[in-house]
Amino acid sequence: MSIDFALDVRGESCPYPVIYTLDTLKEMQPGQLLQVIADCPSSFRNVPEEVVKHGYTLVQEPQKNGRDIIFYIQA
Amino acid sequence: MKALYRKWILNYWSPYLAMALAGVLSAVYFGITKTVWAVTGEFTRLGGHVMEWFGADVSDWGYFKLIGMQGNPVTRTDGWIVWGMFAGALVMVLLNNNFKLRIPRQKRRWAQAFAGGIVAGFGARLALGCNLAAFFTGVPQFSLHSWIFMASTAIGTYLGVKLIGASWWKGKPRLIKGPVEPARAASGRIQPLLGGLAALAYAILIVCFFVSGHKMLGVAALFGALFGILIERGQICFTSAFRDLWISGRATMTKAILVGMAVSSVVTLVIILANGMDPITKIAAPSTLIGGVLFGLGIVMAGGCETGMMYRLMEGQVVFLPVFIGNIAGAGLLAYAWDHTFIYRRLVETGSKINLIDKFGAGGAIAATLIVLGLLFAIARYWQNHYRFGTGFRKGAAKNVH
Repeated sequence: MSIDFALDVRGESCPYPVIYTLDTLKEMQPGQLLQVIADCPSSFRNVPEEVVKHGYTLVQEPQKNGRDIIFYIQA
Repeated sequence: MKALYRKWILNYWSPYLAMALAGVLSAVYFGITKTVWAVTGEFTRLGGHVMEWFGADVSDWGYFKLIGMQGNPVTRTDGWIVWGMFAGALVMVLLNNNFKLRIPRQKRRWAQAFAGGIVAGFGARLALGCNLAAFFTGVPQFSLHSWIFMASTAIGTYLGVKLIGASWWKGKPRLIKGPVEPARAASGRIQPLLGGLAALAYAILIVCFFVSGHKMLGVAALFGALFGILIERGQICFTSAFRDLWISGRATMTKAILVGMAVSSVVTLVIILANGMDPITKIAAPSTLIGGVLFGLGIVMAGGCETGMMYRLMEGQVVFLPVFIGNIAGAGLLAYAWDHTFIYRRLVETGSKINLIDKFGAGGAIAATLIVLGLLFAIARYWQNHYRFGTGFRKGAAKNVH
């Protein structure tokens, strides 16, 4: 799995993890891979939901790392 | 036992379930105490106590006469709802080993949080309630003011989303080319242990209230903790219920809250009729409308309302500390402005207490409430399916560029 960009939104509360993720995906080329690291508990749910609804793909299950969560999203 | 613990304690709950339970509990709480689940009234009293410490005499301020300043935050049921919510949320966060100091990287977030807290605190009290008494527990009391508040909060959150979308407000994330390898987190045992001890201590406290004859304080402390558990486990966010519609068309929370209010309306009506109680009706006036708009704007600026900020703070999202202080400051400011400026005379006095039960009868009131909630649910569903980030309802946008 080759990751093109990583978005570190740890410390950001809602709604910024969602806004930043969707903003970034919009700028990327289709097929490129984005890694998102978040620690806002609400984003554990709203980031994957919104990403999928907007037509992107979660390429693997979100990974929990302690109190952080890591998403892998294909643009 | 272990599987049950894993399912109910170590997993987030469906927001629908959490809100439906909150709807039932808030109706039962009303049946027992004749007051509703609310928090900002107590925040205003806290603001009043702070002003008293600094030597101000608030005893003749109209607003404090209206909400009552008897006792202190540990002898009032409204106080124990607040402490209980903090306690319940904290216990769940600790049991889940999920407390972490979450510190914003961008300094502007602190100022935004404080400013938003003030605007939201001021607006909520101008309307005589926040998303609870003027909304989640106001609609089930069939008080017209809560419908006005709900509509104007929607307008306020729309303005808020315009504001926070501006690049100077939004800021920039940390975007790195290539992957990031975060350090492997060690598994912790201390937080769940502390959580268990805190739960035990709090349970003993509740028992003490009952044993010592402070039954209502015990009820408030218990229900407060249950509300705290529900909003934390359901990650209930009233702010996002409005805000996310305007941002990316997310309506999960919107729909869950509508379901919760529908459940609560039915149970509340049953309790009102069975006990011959009077519903709690608040003044519907221009102040309700203006307060709702300010509240909506403020909660989007702050990133959370007076309810949501409570469990976020317990999760260690420290940016909600200035929100909390701002909420109290804004509420205090309103209490001062109430009768020291034109606010009461011009914006409140002209209003009146209108209850749907008086207007349409019990059957009509519940039918009207459920029909409107159902319509809103349908709109929210449509919205979720058709509104997209950056493009809104424009045709073709739903399919995305990919």
